[in-house]
Amino acid sequence: MSLLGFIVAQCLSALSQAAILFFIACGLTLIFGIMRIINFAHGAIFMLGAYVGFTAIAVTGSFLLSLVIAPIVVGAVGMAFERIFLRPLYGRRDGGAYLLLTFGLTVVLSEIVRVIWGAQPLASGIPDFLRGIVIVFDQPFPLYRLFLIALGFAFAIAVWQFLDRTRAGLLIRAVSQNAEMVHALGTDVDLVRTGVFGLGCAMAALGGVLAAPLVTAFLGMGTTVVIDAFVIVIIGGMGSFLGSLIGSILVAFVQVLGAYYFQDLALAFMYFLMLIVLVIRPGGLLGKED
Amino acid sequence: MSWQLNFVITAAVCVLLPFMLPQYSLTILIEALIFGLFAMSLDLMVGYCRLYSFGHAAAYGLGAYSAALILTKLQWPLPIGIVLAVLVTILTAVPIAWICTRSTGVSFAMLTLAFAQLGYAMLFRFRDITGGSDGITGIPRPSGPFGMTWFQGKTGYYYLVLGCLLGSYLLCRAIVRSPFGAVLAGIRENEAKTVALGYNTRAHKIATVVLAYGFGGLAGALYAAFAGFASPELFFWLVSGRVLIMVVVGGSGTLIGPILGGVFFVFLEHQLSQLTAAAHLRIHIHGLRHVRAGRHLGAAEEPLESRASGRGRRQ
Repeated sequence: MSLLGFIVAQCLSALSQAAILFFIACGLTLIFGIMRIINFAHGAIFMLGAYVGFTAIAVTGSFLLSLVIAPIVVGAVGMAFERIFLRPLYGRRDGGAYLLLTFGLTVVLSEIVRVIWGAQPLASGIPDFLRGIVIVFDQPFPLYRLFLIALGFAFAIAVWQFLDRTRAGLLIRAVSQNAEMVHALGTDVDLVRTGVFGLGCAMAALGGVLAAPLVTAFLGMGTTVVIDAFVIVIIGGMGSFLGSLIGSILVAFVQVLGAYYFQDLALAFMYFLMLIVLVIRPGGLLGKED
Repeated sequence: MSWQLNFVITAAVCVLLPFMLPQYSLTILIEALIFGLFAMSLDLMVGYCRLYSFGHAAAYGLGAYSAALILTKLQWPLPIGIVLAVLVTILTAVPIAWICTRSTGVSFAMLTLAFAQLGYAMLFRFRDITGGSDGITGIPRPSGPFGMTWFQGKTGYYYLVLGCLLGSYLLCRAIVRSPFGAVLAGIRENEAKTVALGYNTRAHKIATVVLAYGFGGLAGALYAAFAGFASPELFFWLVSGRVLIMVVVGGSGTLIGPILGGVFFVFLEHQLSQLTAAAHLRIHIHGLRHVRAGRHLGAAEEPLESRASGRGRRQ
């Protein structure tokens, strides 16, 4: 086993992990940028995505189709939630209300998933055409993880282009900078918020569908992932898209390398990283200080 | 009606409760009072300084694990063990508070979360001391100085918890009504103005966080000695989220509100989980706790449904 092959395999493994984390963190940071709220339910949304994806595969028989269906369904759920529950709270200044609401949504979603799909973990398995091993520098590497890296990469570029080049992206950036001004210029800011919340939920759902073959869909799958996503968003800077990308890669590398070399400290490394970043730059790597 | 009269009536009812309730309800009541104390400690930060901590489980876990280690390894008397556990929590809280108060708002919440999760991670790192995922089981309640044993029974322990809660409440009430508390209110309402008036707000915030950790540690220590075991779940962020909800639901900035919020929540969760499997968080925290305890005794893992409804087995 060559050293180069080993290093490449470790890096690829970390990158595939980063891809999954990025789907969640990107939505989380977009929602924070627009609404200034921390969506504690993001982990539960991620889980819901995995379960809806499972059903979509069972009904349509196609993994690729489930990658489209689950984000749409979950995105619609997110938009409805924002419209009905979050919107009446926008005038209020205290963070407690949002916290209570999104934490409550976490509990409610977990119960709904339990009622609909039951408490047993559901394994959908890796789809046939992505099963198999690729030899990278003499090292066997799962094809599915390469697929994740490619998809994550394409997704990052797509979101970047969307935010940078389209009118909707322009509106999103504008609202995150100064919502009142955008409102004064005649844009329906509430609509932008609903859309972004739905978009963020759809991204998390996509992450859930993609993660399900690796970890199986189970009830607690959101509770640890959402903390990872918080750490990423904090490290990268709240509301910064590029920051969430950098944070995902950093955290994934720390997790994969930590798990390999220092098993006992793997969990702690991520938080050390976050503490160091926050002590040096309280706003995160690419964020503004609040 | 003056608050003194209210206080006396409430205290009298609380003192008489053990004689009116069945043993099982008393167990829930003790747990509820402990969580009330825990929620009140967080209220010092949330309600008086607007410091939203999302890692208050760290205080609970620190208190619980310190007490567990002192009582199990050293076999020191229970009251001394609890006092020492509170001191350990306070000492650990000083550097944490110093670092966390560098930032405010969301960053503060995330920094406290980082410390709590770091503590969670450390439990697995120092497995030989903390027992790793098994936690520490079989925590005794050694008899106290001068041969005191009244707190070893359930009714006696209830009075111990009640005394701690009442004492802490009166202390916190005195703190928030003192000149120190007035500065805290100033920080909550307008920190820039408070700084301009010449107060060192950072020092006040550090002191508040340390105090909140101390009372939180007391709650954790009481819990560990009551339940007889401490598990890593005490450090997990779901505990922090749960207690923050108790504070917000009970009414932050009132001290008594979060106590009621905590008591209300524990009772509600017990009632709901008897009706359905609806108390998701309880299943998470307590379910795992039961399984861990069971596993430690050599029992096989139970199916999830019996975990959800298996609370009665503790009695």
